[in-house]
Amino acid sequence: MNGSSAGPSRSSEPAPHGTARPRRELSDLQFALAVTVPVLLFLLVVVAYPLGYALYMSVHDIRFFGGYSAQFVGFENYAEVLGDDAFWRALGLTVHFTVATVLLGLLIGLGLAIVLRDLPPGWTWLRALIILPWAVSPYGTGIFFAYLGRGQTGVGTALASALGFDQDINFISANWVIEYLAFGNAWNMAPLVAFFLLANMLTIPKRLYHLAELDRMNRFERFWHVTLPPLRFTLFVFSCILTVLALKTFDFIFTQTQGGPGNASSVLTYLIYRISFVNLNLGYGAAMSFFLLLLILAMTGALFFFWGRKVSRR
Amino acid sequence: MSRQRFSIWLILAVAVALLWTFLPMYWTVKYAFMTKSEIASFPPLAFPPAPQLASFFNIFGFDYTLADGTVIPASGQARQIMLGLRNSLIVSLIVTTITMFVVMPVAYVFARLEFAGRGKLLAAILLSVSLPPVSTLIPFYALYVQLQLVGTITGLVIVTLTITIPIVVWMLMGFFRNLPPIEQLARIDGFSRLYTFARIIVPMARSGVLVAALIAFLFAWNEYVYAQVLVTGSQAVTLPAAMSGFLFQVPEPAHLAASLLISLLPPFFIAFFLQRHIAEMNLV
Repeated sequence: MNGSSAGPSRSSEPAPHGTARPRRELSDLQFALAVTVPVLLFLLVVVAYPLGYALYMSVHDIRFFGGYSAQFVGFENYAEVLGDDAFWRALGLTVHFTVATVLLGLLIGLGLAIVLRDLPPGWTWLRALIILPWAVSPYGTGIFFAYLGRGQTGVGTALASALGFDQDINFISANWVIEYLAFGNAWNMAPLVAFFLLANMLTIPKRLYHLAELDRMNRFERFWHVTLPPLRFTLFVFSCILTVLALKTFDFIFTQTQGGPGNASSVLTYLIYRISFVNLNLGYGAAMSFFLLLLILAMTGALFFFWGRKVSRR
Repeated sequence: MSRQRFSIWLILAVAVALLWTFLPMYWTVKYAFMTKSEIASFPPLAFPPAPQLASFFNIFGFDYTLADGTVIPASGQARQIMLGLRNSLIVSLIVTTITMFVVMPVAYVFARLEFAGRGKLLAAILLSVSLPPVSTLIPFYALYVQLQLVGTITGLVIVTLTITIPIVVWMLMGFFRNLPPIEQLARIDGFSRLYTFARIIVPMARSGVLVAALIAFLFAWNEYVYAQVLVTGSQAVTLPAAMSGFLFQVPEPAHLAASLLISLLPPFFIAFFLQRHIAEMNLV
């Protein structure tokens, strides 16, 4: 930096800063620190601070009515969460929604990947269309599936009336809302899964399919023994990604059902939002959000433990 | 295994895939071309009976006269929508620029150098990807009230960076890892580390860097949770937050659909471009 400011008066000197002198080299660690520390400090401040603050709130009873007050209550909020029926209900819904999202996301992604792989040459531009849902924001997906599924405006009712039935078909009903939400989430994420699976499939040597034909494998056996094995690692990684995304989902549910009908889709994120922002019970909401974080870590950890260890990168 | 031609089953499969892709979007987007009474009709209409562009004029503050002389008045929220469009662009561009400048060296270091504590730092970054926004919302809000950052573009940029930085680090790492090990050669030739990185590695990783930048833009453009809490109703409102006025306060499906369609255009261009490169990202 300073070298560039050297004036013309310096040029007459025998140049102690000249190019001949070897530059002082940084070690790997020093270089790593120099570029990462500023970013990590930023992340630390903006990630650790909210976590720390949430931790603080979770051990206090915070009140707004009659003036702000925060009273230390220890682990009372946590204990209260564990005794709360609404929490256990929301936990069940969250796990249900997550499992459904992962299964639908992977299956539909696999289906799309196979369709994209089998496109005749000259039709591969269709891939550019199939990817589009992935670019739609979660709140946009929520809006799309809200109008698509509601009995009043939905495609089900339109179809039923076209076929001559005079009946509402409402997907956003207490019985089906979780599956329907998972369906919408899968619509959003499946194209990404499909593109990664497709990239894997294209690396499978054709020779293997010829061998499979010699072995007289049928279509299903070919899929099971030739196509599927190399995809396992990608499927594992996406099951983790989809799990985390499904557990974190808020805007998608917020724009689609607002936790309804009743509280049939009030998953943990939505319940925490209600407690914190509507009831303004900040300490309790913060305590519950740590259970959500624990659930995220537990589910991804379990995925790794039972599946990830068995699949290698190649 | 590309086939030479279509079989009946393949045509059917492609049709199902296209229906799956476009039906959910179409069902809402069609409202942008319908009037209030057409939208309210029961049973719901699958096609706009008389497509017109009133909603697109309305959300930008213009009245629109239908063929039969009926005037559809401009939306009261037109100012918010235009402000939102502008702010969304500003926030997304700033976030993308900062993210890329900050993240490229970090991703490179994580991908190519071995140093003590690397695994832990990586774990910390992945942890920050999995933090649910609902649990960080209140702390950010409380902090922002004190710093007077509520309702400002600066505040929204900072909070959006916490989303884009970890994701882009993760994506770019895989990309840098797959480059040929050129550093040793560059070092033998006497280039400094910084020069090697800026003039050799980054140009080699051009397509990966571009893809990562587009993804950062996409995440910033689509961010809604923080925007809803931090900037709704302020001068710094973004398009998603502005649009939610059509969803909640006074439901206006036609205006919602029109603004949603406009908000989808940049992501669609990005996705269209990305589809060739997406699997190079080494997310996996």
